[in-house]
Amino acid sequence: MSVPNGLRCLLRPSTTTSIPARIVPVTVLAASFSSTSLLGKNPLPPKGKAPPSRVKVLPGGHIRAGKKMQLGKFKKNKQVDRSRPPAPGERKAYRKRVTLSNNNALPVEGLEEMSPQAMVDPEKVGRMLALPNELVDQLRAVEAFKPTQTWNMFRQPSILQRKETRELAEKMQAAAGKGETLKLVISGDRLVGKSMLLLQAVSYAYLNNWIVFHIPEGQELTNASTDYAPIPNTAPTQYSQQAYALRILQFLRKANQKLLLDLKTVFPHPELVQHFPVGTSLLQVANAAKEPDSTWPIFNAVLQELTAEGAGRPPILFSLDGLSFVMKASEYRSPAFELIHSHDLSIVRRFVDLLSGKTKLPSGGAVVAATSRGNSPRNPSMELMIAQQEAKQGLREQPVKEPYNRKYDDRVEAAMRDIEVLRLSSVSRSEARSLMEYWAASGLLRTAVDEKAVSDKWALGGNGNLGEMERATLLTMRY
Amino acid sequence: MPPSLGLRAAFRALTITARPVVRAPLRPGRLSQLRTFADNTTSTPPPQIPGQDGMPIPDSFTGSAKEEPEQAAAAEGQESAGSAESAESAEPASPLNQLALDQLQLASYGLDPFDPHVVGHKYGLPELPIPSNMRAKHRYDPVVEQMTRLIMRDGKLSKAQRDMAMILNYLRTSPPPKINPARPLLPGAPPASHLPLDPVLYLTLAVDSVAPLIRIRGYSGIAGGGKKLEVPAPLAARQRRRTAFQWILDVVDKKKSKGSGRTMFPHRVAEEIVAIMEGRSSVWDKRNLVHRQGTAARANLATVAKRFGNKAR
Repeated sequence: MSVPNGLRCLLRPSTTTSIPARIVPVTVLAASFSSTSLLGKNPLPPKGKAPPSRVKVLPGGHIRAGKKMQLGKFKKNKQVDRSRPPAPGERKAYRKRVTLSNNNALPVEGLEEMSPQAMVDPEKVGRMLALPNELVDQLRAVEAFKPTQTWNMFRQPSILQRKETRELAEKMQAAAGKGETLKLVISGDRLVGKSMLLLQAVSYAYLNNWIVFHIPEGQELTNASTDYAPIPNTAPTQYSQQAYALRILQFLRKANQKLLLDLKTVFPHPELVQHFPVGTSLLQVANAAKEPDSTWPIFNAVLQELTAEGAGRPPILFSLDGLSFVMKASEYRSPAFELIHSHDLSIVRRFVDLLSGKTKLPSGGAVVAATSRGNSPRNPSMELMIAQQEAKQGLREQPVKEPYNRKYDDRVEAAMRDIEVLRLSSVSRSEARSLMEYWAASGLLRTAVDEKAVSDKWALGGNGNLGEMERATLLTMRY
Repeated sequence: MPPSLGLRAAFRALTITARPVVRAPLRPGRLSQLRTFADNTTSTPPPQIPGQDGMPIPDSFTGSAKEEPEQAAAAEGQESAGSAESAESAEPASPLNQLALDQLQLASYGLDPFDPHVVGHKYGLPELPIPSNMRAKHRYDPVVEQMTRLIMRDGKLSKAQRDMAMILNYLRTSPPPKINPARPLLPGAPPASHLPLDPVLYLTLAVDSVAPLIRIRGYSGIAGGGKKLEVPAPLAARQRRRTAFQWILDVVDKKKSKGSGRTMFPHRVAEEIVAIMEGRSSVWDKRNLVHRQGTAARANLATVAKRFGNKAR
């Protein structure tokens, strides 16, 4: 009991003391010049100082205010963050950055370097091959390394030479030798190593001095994230993607620089703003592309030059990861606000025409696409064509086309009618063993690698699914 | 398991002389290594089985073995040698016979048939103490296990485990910490360059180094004036780690992520652990504060002891 309230009981009762301010507007009934200290006191509470508790004693008397509704009383008072917000794209760049080396990991002695001969050598199947530094730079330039792969744990990027790798490398070798185009789709279960095999195909191409056009994510072409524009005088209308074309040219400049420097133009190219006389190096032409706006004619000119017949061009590899994104309607809209089919995007069309065999690479080469299981839209036509091809190769029974499914796409089926499928399966025990020995030699696997440990991880990883083995061994809480 | 599982009786019933047992050097893990969980088609050569691949079947298996008196005189073979004459070779195979035959077969492989790890067990006896990868319940390091449960939110243990794996991987891939001599770690800590490749040790060392030794317990009603009497109380190892990790998580909650995606939370935790090792973390200050409070309040122990007697402890 506070003393002022107690004393207030002794006063003569008056209206001002008993009526709360919220009922009657405060009017001081007594003379304003009254010298009585209590009545002359300012009836309003001093401003700026909120009472600590909800129940407050009014200055006029001992009547307490009732409970008042408070909105959001359960919300925490969040501290205002005054630090600089991340710049656009900064957080994504952090998420997507690729680290290729771990200085803590032990260097593995005696690893063989990847070379054109080693990739087709049957002796090397089941061995780890280290990527030479030059190749690493090239692969990094075309963004062939992915942030989800575990490159960041090892001292130097190295890849297991699988039997499928050798198979693919031999096919590429044969195709280039005969001047044919290898049209191949890599399929397989989730985490089985399809993107890694594609990376090995790209490596083989670089090691053999091929020109490489690598599209690291098919979805970037079709999910309406780069600029596009209709190409005039095309029926049905095709669309150019200048920003992406510039990116491809930049990949090419960085990764194939030496090769481009040696190749000379054979066409005059009057359509280009800059004049390139016949015999200019292709690198010079590619370097002319500086801004997206002026890229498209240069991109076309470079492609025309590289596929010129009888000019002694090197073999070309077109590779793409995430095939199902380019085998369906894209997310771009036409001026009539209809969805544009991916095959109407000019860059995709070039790839698809090569895959279907409609156009050919004059000096041979390969078109290799990898499907993806983690991030891929359902694509019935593509799945059907892959399954049919697998049935043709005797890997499974003939699939049946669903009669009432309306999501089949004739264009996709036409494009994929004549392809080869490389079905990537699990690794054998001996391959798994050499990989685990590499992990152990790097200091990341802290148990002895014996038959028991290998069978253990091999069985845990879905009978030799490499990605699952990696998850069970390297990405666990147990070391 | 007693090795005398009808062995003597079995030998007595045999019509054949037991061949001298080849005592191979004791290799307890041998048989269990041959039998892994899954089918074994590996580089270890399969055991040579008599009767297959041109291996001759030993005479003892066909029952046509001649008695070898000088070996029968050995201590183990004496009884069987005496009974071999009385029994006939045409005796039907009993389970005991079969057991003995199996043991003979083992001996012919060069294994010890009287090895208690093998006798009577289909897969042999487990190694003791049971290694961590053979246990279902306690398969993780105790510190890692405890931290994982503390990270867990909304009962999502598997997410917490994934986060913990990412924390450990961050520790493995980040450069070795620069130890600050002003913030001494636990005595006997390995040099910093050894830590990244043993992330569990790294984590344990960081958490144990900032773990407080005591907590401040408040006794109400003793100090008077509505105040609580602050008394230091010792903590068990698990409690200490829990307190330390809660402090770490408090700091982590207030930190801002650099990027985006599912690695952000584990990376913030791991960054804080690195900060602890390098002496930059504010968790050290919390620990020092608690210890200072405890030192100041230790005089109150006497008051509590006087009031509650032995129960206060």
